[in-house]
Amino acid sequence: MPSATLLGQALISGVLAGGMYGLLALGLSLSWGLLRLVNLSYFALAFLAAYLTYELGTTYHVEPWWSAVLIVPSMVAIGVVQYWVFDKFKVNELASLLITFSFAVILEVVIQLYWTADYRRFETHYSTLSIKAGPFYIPVLELVLCLVAGALAWGTWLWLRKTYVGKALRASAEDADIAAAYGVDHKKLAYLLSGISAGYAGVAGTFIALIATLAPAQIWAWLGVVFAVVIIGRLGNPLGALFAGMAIGASESLAMAVMSPAWAPVVSFSVLIVILLWDPDWL
Amino acid sequence: MIDRMSAWPRRRVLAGMVGATAALGAPAILRAAPSGKPVRVGGTLSLTGFLAQTAVIHKIAAEIMVEEINGRNGFLGRPVEYVLLDDQSKPEVARSLYEKLITVDKVDLIQGPYATAPILAAMGVAQRYGKVIIQSSMGIPKMQTYDMAFPATPFGPEPQKTYPNVILDAMASLPTPPKTIVILTSKFPSAQFMAQGMREESGKRGVNVVLYLEYESGNRDFGAIAARVKEANADFLWVGSLGLESNQLLEALRKLDYTPKNSFHLYPAPGPLALSPDGKNALCSTFLEPAEPFMSRPGVARQAAAYKERATKANLPYAIIDAQAAGMISEWQILEAGVNGAKSLEDKAIAAFLKKNTVDTIYGTLRFDGLYNHGNAEQLIKQVQGGEWKVVWPTKYAAPGVKLIGS
Amino acid sequence: MTNANGLPKLAAVLGIAVFAILPTAGLPAFYESFFYLVFFWVSLSTSWALLSGFAGYFSLGHAAFFGVGMYTTATLTTKFEVPFLATIPAAAALAALLGIGIGAVVFRVRRLRGELFALLTLAVTFVIATIILNTPIDGGAGVFMISVPMPAIMSSQTGTIYVLGFAMCVLTLAIAWWVAHSRLGMGLFAIHDDEDVAEAKGVPTFRYKIVAFALSAGIAGAVGGIHAMYVGFLTVGGTFELTVPLYVVLMSVLGGSRHWFGPAVGATVITALLYAFISGGEAMIGRALVGAILIIAILWLPDGVVPAVQKWLRRQRVAGAGASATAMPAELVPVELAPTKPVGQRNILEARTVTKRFGGLQALDGVDLDVREGEILGLVGPNGSGKTTLINVISGHFPLTSGTIAVDGVQIGHLPAHEIAGRGVARTYQIPRPFANMTVLDNVTLAATFGGPARPAAEMRDEAVHWIGFTGLAGKEAALPAELNLHERKFLELARALAARPKLLLLDEVLSGLNPAEIDNAIRLVRAIRAQGATIVFVEHLMRAVVELSDRVAVLNEGKLFALGAPRDVMRDPRVISIYLGKAYAA
Repeated sequence: MPSATLLGQALISGVLAGGMYGLLALGLSLSWGLLRLVNLSYFALAFLAAYLTYELGTTYHVEPWWSAVLIVPSMVAIGVVQYWVFDKFKVNELASLLITFSFAVILEVVIQLYWTADYRRFETHYSTLSIKAGPFYIPVLELVLCLVAGALAWGTWLWLRKTYVGKALRASAEDADIAAAYGVDHKKLAYLLSGISAGYAGVAGTFIALIATLAPAQIWAWLGVVFAVVIIGRLGNPLGALFAGMAIGASESLAMAVMSPAWAPVVSFSVLIVILLWDPDWL
Repeated sequence: MIDRMSAWPRRRVLAGMVGATAALGAPAILRAAPSGKPVRVGGTLSLTGFLAQTAVIHKIAAEIMVEEINGRNGFLGRPVEYVLLDDQSKPEVARSLYEKLITVDKVDLIQGPYATAPILAAMGVAQRYGKVIIQSSMGIPKMQTYDMAFPATPFGPEPQKTYPNVILDAMASLPTPPKTIVILTSKFPSAQFMAQGMREESGKRGVNVVLYLEYESGNRDFGAIAARVKEANADFLWVGSLGLESNQLLEALRKLDYTPKNSFHLYPAPGPLALSPDGKNALCSTFLEPAEPFMSRPGVARQAAAYKERATKANLPYAIIDAQAAGMISEWQILEAGVNGAKSLEDKAIAAFLKKNTVDTIYGTLRFDGLYNHGNAEQLIKQVQGGEWKVVWPTKYAAPGVKLIGS
Repeated sequence: MTNANGLPKLAAVLGIAVFAILPTAGLPAFYESFFYLVFFWVSLSTSWALLSGFAGYFSLGHAAFFGVGMYTTATLTTKFEVPFLATIPAAAALAALLGIGIGAVVFRVRRLRGELFALLTLAVTFVIATIILNTPIDGGAGVFMISVPMPAIMSSQTGTIYVLGFAMCVLTLAIAWWVAHSRLGMGLFAIHDDEDVAEAKGVPTFRYKIVAFALSAGIAGAVGGIHAMYVGFLTVGGTFELTVPLYVVLMSVLGGSRHWFGPAVGATVITALLYAFISGGEAMIGRALVGAILIIAILWLPDGVVPAVQKWLRRQRVAGAGASATAMPAELVPVELAPTKPVGQRNILEARTVTKRFGGLQALDGVDLDVREGEILGLVGPNGSGKTTLINVISGHFPLTSGTIAVDGVQIGHLPAHEIAGRGVARTYQIPRPFANMTVLDNVTLAATFGGPARPAAEMRDEAVHWIGFTGLAGKEAALPAELNLHERKFLELARALAARPKLLLLDEVLSGLNPAEIDNAIRLVRAIRAQGATIVFVEHLMRAVVELSDRVAVLNEGKLFALGAPRDVMRDPRVISIYLGKAYAA
């Protein structure tokens, strides 16, 4: 039976890893839930942001947060342009899947052309920093990531729930025609949301550059788990995405602490299946 | 390890020296440039997809070799043309493309792809059409069941038995030899295969396997695994890793403020591990590094320099020649020797020649008359020292002054 | 019309013939491999569309069935030395069983539609992949098929695989064509648009979904079994990666997922594109170009290639015939005043202590109600009194909490909605819920088909045309519901309900939103319907209609039957007036 320390450490590590899932899921959840657009290109945009962070960091020695000041708004702009295309062509949900997937493939090629398929690592002196809390270690970068993800998720949730803009967006998502009759300018809000979602991908990219090693094929590494996180957290619910990410990360990690790590996906996804079927009220 | 040098017949040594002289740049007027209809050699590499980062290394090495071969005599006096297609890291695409190369493009010869799955797919095609196929990256020799398939990398026929003993020998040579070992492995066929061998051989030699863990390849989060490794705290950590997994594991361990006493990594991406601050003194498997005694082998110095130049120009962050590139170089050296030695482009003749003769390659002298057409096992151990990979074991392959650092 | 029908059939026969004899033409093996891969993707994406395209149950788990098929063949041939061909049916059967198993659990749960179904299928894939990875089925070492003997159907291995792939492809397309043109397909398309309404119209939704899922999974399993031989070396990673589930979606979307031939077109285009840029020099640029081409294609043809082609062809035909394609609002067809039939003696509907609770909310609290044959019963009451809930419970949209309901003597309280529909109960919806992607004719034909015992398709069609004419929608058979105005859509609801020849017709606020002329027309229509022999219960707020039409009026309040009697008596009852707080006369 594994020790309490081991289980505790695994739990911490899993929750923090889940923060990354939640951050990647944020934009996709909002876009899918409120705009009915399944935007797979956020994975590629995140990696583009990561590569740019890496490039600015290694060639021009710019700190990642300064790079983010440049990169995230660029991502927002890309999100706005994407929505312009979707709107002009009246793209439906399934078509958006195909379009954004193809766009992600194009981005992957662009990345590979410029940075090659070889691995790149953005080395920083703080990448293995940890805070020691009793017998446990809390890696600093992942913690910061989770705090940022939490702030963004919570802020978005508040914005959607409490402000006029947020409520208008949710109304439009439910029924755009009726909402328009009440004076909701769906278009402007949609552009805003599309930009923000892409912006979140940019933020995720900054952290990916700091935490992970980059290779173009890695764009697809998170696809399955983030899909699961988005859906279990309920579409359009930013806090749901974050908690679902952490829950999945924690369950994976705890499973790996107790049994052969190769069995872990069975545990986390079986739990997922059971929860989906049972659907307790507290979820 | 039997020293094969003394068993070389003089004729072969002479042949080798002549070849070496030619390669080292005998004046052009002494040999005619290859002319006539090109000999077309077809092959695929995973230029896109998840295997792309290593395939690009193979591509560069192949280009260097084709140029070199054409700078000599080509194949039987004719220039060589490499018809390269992209198998997108998918075995079914590899299979169909080899069929295209053979049945539509009607290439004269073929060269193997990269990685076990595409190689097996290509091997099936080669077998159906009676083509010789040379490959350099299949880590499970017993799968090479086709009689006319030849390994360019000296894994030896049973690396899962021989190589763990190389590692255990190295460990036994340390002042305090490890008594306990943690074995981690990805469930990728070639890694898992070696991990099982490591477990068995460790048991036979009295090294206690205190923890044996398997993770799925593509695992994202090494936190829990690192916690278990730290808790086991064995004398030696053996990781059947591929790509970035070693980096991820070592980083996860460092975040727990734990540095493994001795760590060995099977098939990681060499650049990231050597350059990582967590990679200090990490051990790894190799067949060649750009240092003595390898650099003295005929042509290697020039190939290493050419590789560095081209890899840098191709914007690869890690431009140092190593076993992957060498494998591809060896593939072409064997094909050249086979064609020129058999004096024929007929696959059967080439295969017959290779079975009966040895070939001098970047890996030394290779023979193909053993089980699964494999010769001796020449898998070595390298270590990160000062941010660079240095061969440390067996000691006769270590550069002067370089020795294994243990703890 | 015969010429237009003949051409595609001829093309199909020619196509099959050409591809069938291709292997004997001595083509280089590569083309056999390439066409095999085309057949492979056609079969896989078409099988995906059977459930996910036709019925709209978006599955991300196609790799699970494909993988089960691959590993079934791999295990049986390598570990048990079963001949390769014999393993294919086993692969199909096992995969189909898995599909049926998942469906049996999942399809009963109403909220597990849409994305949740997608996620569930994805999760099942991961679970199966991990189990295979960690057990001796694969165990991580991969399964090597090189020593498995190939049946010598053709002289070469590639030729044999081509034939197997081709046979599978033809079989799959045949199944897809048959499903699309059968009752099953009609039901699946209806489920896609509105599952609850489909169920209420008599479509046995659970059974149909299971059948579609079993077919989809079984085909994928068989395809996987054949593919195991093609690939030669199976790894868990290579088999269960997201490529298969994602590509089948892309191919179906590109070609048109609701059409039986759509995925085939998409699969062919994408496979051809993937092979267009294989040269080593252009690998990366080629990949980007493929992405760009796909983007442009789907932006330009958002519903897919096949529907776009169909639309174009239809426009050519219409332009050629010179007919006006613009839809004009339907003329109000004045309905003949039908002679009133005397109300019968037996009870068509007998409700006893009907109770319905939603969690803590008591919507119906012991309602006792009898409706006599041929009667028109008005059902009124303030908002929230339970009128629509009563309709929903009778029609089976919600299950009863307690009590009994009998229609023409048969207990229906515990039956699923589609069986209730089969027992002669039909309903309309207050806000019309036509099947959005089906024409008016198809909407009504479906109701006729599923509303009663099976009859020949031509008969159903005629029945549908009759009712379309009866409700004044003649000439609009080919229109899509979106092209109709509210009045027309309400009458479409009626036509659908009538096409099932119901004994009991439940109308839910059929008059709301109509102008006075339309209301008068509707009232005449309701009388005409009763004259055909139907018994009608109608919920209405418009008091003048209630008083005009009803033989009796039932008043519901807070889930209980508050009053029952002749219209004028009930409407003048001071208690009734008081529960409306003065809203009695709204007309």
